[in-house]
Amino acid sequence: MPPKRHIMGLFKSEDKVVSAINELKQSSYQFIRVNTPIPSHKIMDALQLKRSWVGWFTLCGGILGFIGGFALAIFTATRWNLIVSGKPIIAIIPFVVVGFEVTILGSVFGNVIGLLTQTRLPSFRWFKYYDPRCSGEHFGVLAACEAMQEDGLKDFFQKQGAEVRVFETIRESPQL
Amino acid sequence: MIENDTKTMQINQTKASWVFFALIAIGVATFVIGLASSHPERAWQAYLINFLLWSAIAQGAVLFSAVMHMTNARWSGPLSGLSESFAAFFPISYILFLVLFLGRAHIFPWLHEDLHGKEVWLNIPFLFTRDCIGLLILYMLGFGYLFNALQLKLDPSQPKGKLRRSIFEAWQRNHRKPEDIKRRMTIWGGLYILAFALVLCLIGFDLVMSMDPHWISTLFGAYHFVKSFFIGLGALIILAAIIRIRQGEASGIKANHFHDVGKLFFGFCLLWADFFYVQLMVIYYGNIPEETHYVIVRTMLAPWNKLAWTVFIVCFIGPFFILLNQRIKTKPVLMLIICSIVIVGIWLEHLLLLGPALSHEAQSIPLSLSDGLISLGFLGLMAIAIGYFMKVFPEAVPATESN
Repeated sequence: MPPKRHIMGLFKSEDKVVSAINELKQSSYQFIRVNTPIPSHKIMDALQLKRSWVGWFTLCGGILGFIGGFALAIFTATRWNLIVSGKPIIAIIPFVVVGFEVTILGSVFGNVIGLLTQTRLPSFRWFKYYDPRCSGEHFGVLAACEAMQEDGLKDFFQKQGAEVRVFETIRESPQL
Repeated sequence: MIENDTKTMQINQTKASWVFFALIAIGVATFVIGLASSHPERAWQAYLINFLLWSAIAQGAVLFSAVMHMTNARWSGPLSGLSESFAAFFPISYILFLVLFLGRAHIFPWLHEDLHGKEVWLNIPFLFTRDCIGLLILYMLGFGYLFNALQLKLDPSQPKGKLRRSIFEAWQRNHRKPEDIKRRMTIWGGLYILAFALVLCLIGFDLVMSMDPHWISTLFGAYHFVKSFFIGLGALIILAAIIRIRQGEASGIKANHFHDVGKLFFGFCLLWADFFYVQLMVIYYGNIPEETHYVIVRTMLAPWNKLAWTVFIVCFIGPFFILLNQRIKTKPVLMLIICSIVIVGIWLEHLLLLGPALSHEAQSIPLSLSDGLISLGFLGLMAIAIGYFMKVFPEAVPATESN
């Protein structure tokens, strides 16, 4: 199978990006990704991304941390069995402090792990099919098509009001 | 068509206000019957709990608007204007406080006790004088803030009604630029926030903590005002949800608004529990009999221990796990239910704090139908106050503007 052509439409307006994404999704071209210099709710909505799993990582981390924090406090207290100011060895009320702190710690770790795994970081191939102007004042919409459709895709982007950049074909599949 | 809609709205509003007037009548009747019965102290207990709860709701909700202005927040949108409508309860709250003076013999168990030197602070003339002045300052600052805040919103071409006309005349006398008004709002709002913390501390100490005069907790005042903001936010969400359900998209209150104010409500739910916990922690470690008896009676001994767990579950555990979910926070109906339950929970929490001091050696929790009916009377008062504000200043609340 001949390699696909990768073409990026560079937009200056957020709204045009949104309409380009919507039309691209309905066309026969393969929509790949958007590079944007700023976080944009409009573009996020247009992409219709699946719900992120990061929250579940955070929740699991928090629950594990909660159990771990209490377990740590109870375990260390029972190692010595020292009665401190007439309180029971396993004194739940003050252990809430340890339990709470470790819950937060667990949630943070869960969140970071979730973030790294779900965004597929670290990435060393992001610069493939990338235009540095996307870190400046342009939004880049990247799409792929068969070699014979190249002109059609270029026209499509131009009609949407974009500046077009055609990438040289690279053999490997791009990192999305 | 629009005229028809407006007429239906007006009929509905008249009907609703009749219902609330009926609630007030039921509340007053129950209270009077309670006073005439053999246990007038029970009626006064319900009165005190409701006074504390509904005043705190009004004060806390107005605080929301002041805080939004002070922090330059834009996310609150129409909610800010909506929260100002709770200021209409201020005069009612003040009168309700004055009425409390009549029940002094029933609501201050320390009146005939040996206070071991505390009588300098805990005596009726001084207590009522300082609380009257405190509430007066708080409410004046609240109205001062509102006076400026409304100036930016009201439509000067419609000076209907006596109150509106006098306010417009006051504005015209000293004509100001919008920047000037905003600066004045900052000053009044800042002072209101400060007074809120100080006066609610005072009310918490005087009307709640002093019921058990030998018990002290320095954090009690802060606990009281954090709780007030917590339920103020709850009531604001309820009002916003009602308007959203009745008017739909036209209200201008979007799912995002519910999500954001829901997050704040969730945050204050945590903060309330935190303030409870830090007090408990110090008492637990100190283990001084003078301090521990208060907690033991309320959380470990029957009949109050069950109520303590109910309050803890209804006001913290339940909302905590439910509000973790993002989608629930964006649904007006669900938020309406959750916030109503939390406010009922805080009502019970007031009963938990005051009950053991007011009903010594109670075998069961002193709770009956009459408490509920008196509370409904206060609900009616709050609803009538808010309804009146929205009627006089329809454009202050963007939700009613479209109608």
